[in-house]
Amino acid sequence: MSYLGKAIRAFLVVGSVVAIGACGSSSKSSSSGGGGGGGGKTVDVYSSLPLQGASTAQTDPMVNGIKLALSEAGNKAGQWTVNYQSLDDSTAAAGKWDPGQTAANARKAAADKKAVYYIGEFNSGASEVSIPILNQGGIAQVSPANTYVGLTTNLPGSAPGEPQKYYPTGNRTYLRIVPIDSIQAAADLMAMKQAGCTKVAVANDKEAYGAGLATLLGLEKGFYGVTIASNTGIDPTAPNFRSYAATVKGQGADCFFFAGIVSNGAVQITKDVHAALPTAKIFGGDGVCTSSYTGASKGGVPAAIDPLLECTVATQNLTSYPGGKTFLAAYKAKYGDANPDPYAIYGYEAMKLGLDTIASVGAQGNSPSAVLKALFATTNRSSVLGTYGFDKNGDTTLKSYGLYKVGSDGTPVFFKTLTPTKTVGSS
Amino acid sequence: MPAVPARPLALVRRYLGRWGLLAALAALPIYYGIRDLTHGYQAGVVAGHPVIQHDLSRLGFNLAQGLSNGAIWALIAIGYTLVYGIIELINFAHGDVFMVGSFTAAGFWGSIGLGAATGTIGLIGGLILTLIVSMAVCGSLNVLIERVAYRPLRGAPKLAPLITAVGFSFILQNVGLLWRGGSPQGVTDLVHEQSTVFNISGVPIVRGYILALAVMVPLVFGLAWFISNTRAGRAMRATAQDPEAARLMGINVNATISLTFLLGGMLAGAAGLVYALYETNVWYFQGFEAGLIAFTAAVMGGIGNVRGAVLGGLIIGVIQALSDSRMGPQWTEAVVFGYLIVIMILRPRGLLGEEIREAG
Repeated sequence: MSYLGKAIRAFLVVGSVVAIGACGSSSKSSSSGGGGGGGGKTVDVYSSLPLQGASTAQTDPMVNGIKLALSEAGNKAGQWTVNYQSLDDSTAAAGKWDPGQTAANARKAAADKKAVYYIGEFNSGASEVSIPILNQGGIAQVSPANTYVGLTTNLPGSAPGEPQKYYPTGNRTYLRIVPIDSIQAAADLMAMKQAGCTKVAVANDKEAYGAGLATLLGLEKGFYGVTIASNTGIDPTAPNFRSYAATVKGQGADCFFFAGIVSNGAVQITKDVHAALPTAKIFGGDGVCTSSYTGASKGGVPAAIDPLLECTVATQNLTSYPGGKTFLAAYKAKYGDANPDPYAIYGYEAMKLGLDTIASVGAQGNSPSAVLKALFATTNRSSVLGTYGFDKNGDTTLKSYGLYKVGSDGTPVFFKTLTPTKTVGSS
Repeated sequence: MPAVPARPLALVRRYLGRWGLLAALAALPIYYGIRDLTHGYQAGVVAGHPVIQHDLSRLGFNLAQGLSNGAIWALIAIGYTLVYGIIELINFAHGDVFMVGSFTAAGFWGSIGLGAATGTIGLIGGLILTLIVSMAVCGSLNVLIERVAYRPLRGAPKLAPLITAVGFSFILQNVGLLWRGGSPQGVTDLVHEQSTVFNISGVPIVRGYILALAVMVPLVFGLAWFISNTRAGRAMRATAQDPEAARLMGINVNATISLTFLLGGMLAGAAGLVYALYETNVWYFQGFEAGLIAFTAAVMGGIGNVRGAVLGGLIIGVIQALSDSRMGPQWTEAVVFGYLIVIMILRPRGLLGEEIREAG
């Protein structure tokens, strides 16, 4: 064999190994905490979040928050030593959450005899996959980020059969610590009204979260006097959205709202709409309120668009929370970041809630049903997010959203709190 | 003995002809043009009232956008058609070579310091250098793929190189995945591609349109000249018609096939640069969809036929723009492939006819 021939074959082999490595990288997990089932009084806690792709700007700080809460508690929940495993529900190829990976994570937790608490998912579409699996396993699931109404309620904006289809046992096993999209949509409409929008073009990414949020904007527009010019489901893989932008321009829209996640074409559609409507204000929900969308240096929209951008996240000014300053100081001490993504505190609170609940049931801390019952009984909990509890659906009693603008470094910066008074669920 | 009656489809094919089919293709823009003139379209809102215009500027906008998008598909389609014409292989990895071209271009212009603040002279010089590098990388990569994955299978059943082509496509996708991750990544808008340069009857002609056509047209004419007027080009045509006869006439068939892959790869590299500048984003999966569209363009125009590939690319670009704008993007793929089915039924050898061994 010639030297060239050998070199070429070596290239092929290396390429194949690289390819296999890339495919295999999607199932990574890391664990921390207790000894991992070495006998003793140990319980297992999982988180399942997308740790690859554009969402990592939100989920990496979230995992940091989870680990911070665990280390502050000395890896203990009352008498129980906690073994925490961080699972990844995304794949490298998808660059976002993946149904197969999400189901595998949920099955892993459901099959674990020591599992009592599961933090996840980040994306509502992913929770549609994991809730039924964990429900059959009887594992308490708390999402630090899901907002889609259909996961817990049959409010307008949900699909037929929701939410019952997610709970095959008939018992609720899912809770969330962020306010649902009927509240977020109302907050977004308040923000758009205050910004002077008269006609808003809405595009959604056709996932549960994006399509649901877009539908709610349409259902609640009358409460806030905003006209929705159109609601269009886009193909997230399209190379550009120029024709869509031209159509929106023809509709006379003066504002644009993207309902979806960053990985689903958010940056490109924003650039194209801005090119067609250079003065239009641009809004988004929590799916895009992150530096991977707002920051040009992180692959987000060009800096020239930043002054026109506003977005909402359930998190408000971190320093104004009861435990906000303490949390920020601890976060900075552990990770060296004084200005973490707003979602970091939700990761922190999700783990704190789990640890406190496991501790509260004492010797029954290794019983998934006891932990689940205690979670649903939570009322007036004093937390870093303020005082809250859960309703019978598992939804938080918190009702406010934070409105964010974009700072000079391209990261979202808290602007003000929005507390809607009218939503489809309340009126 | 009574004459056998002609079947209806054969009659349609006989009387419709090439130009009849081209006229049928023009039906969509003609329909929308007449509709815009008679019914008008909403061009905007002034003081809360819709502005209705009765002119062809919206159609002109669709055509300009479609032709510029189509120029990118055309450059990729030529690579498919050249390779199919000479070794009758669908080079599934070609779309991914185009993706590597985009990644190379975006990486290279960043490494030489091109940015939004770069002056005009520096930008033009830098982009020409980037074009050369991107074409060189993709041309070399395509030659390497041919040497490793296709040449050893020259006498093997046709399924074997088809599978190696699919294999190389996945390998390149995974290389792209490791290179820039799984999400689409925005790249610097170096040329301010949506800035209007001038207007033609109310149709804004932006820099992106000019860039796409300015790269595509000279490259296509250069390729056509090369194939028609050079010794190597004549060798390519001879090999495409009959490789055994070409070998007997003293042509180095393997070298000629490598040259074909080199040219196809170079055009994919050029398309990769234009795509990155035009779309201002790159993605490891961009080659899959672009490859599918470009191969469709090559088949539509007549596989093996360079002029057909260009025509097919431009037509698909226009159909996409019209469908995106008038029917909604969710219908675009169905419309494009609907057109392809109609063309294949009425003219199985494509609009300008195949140029492959069986056709020769």
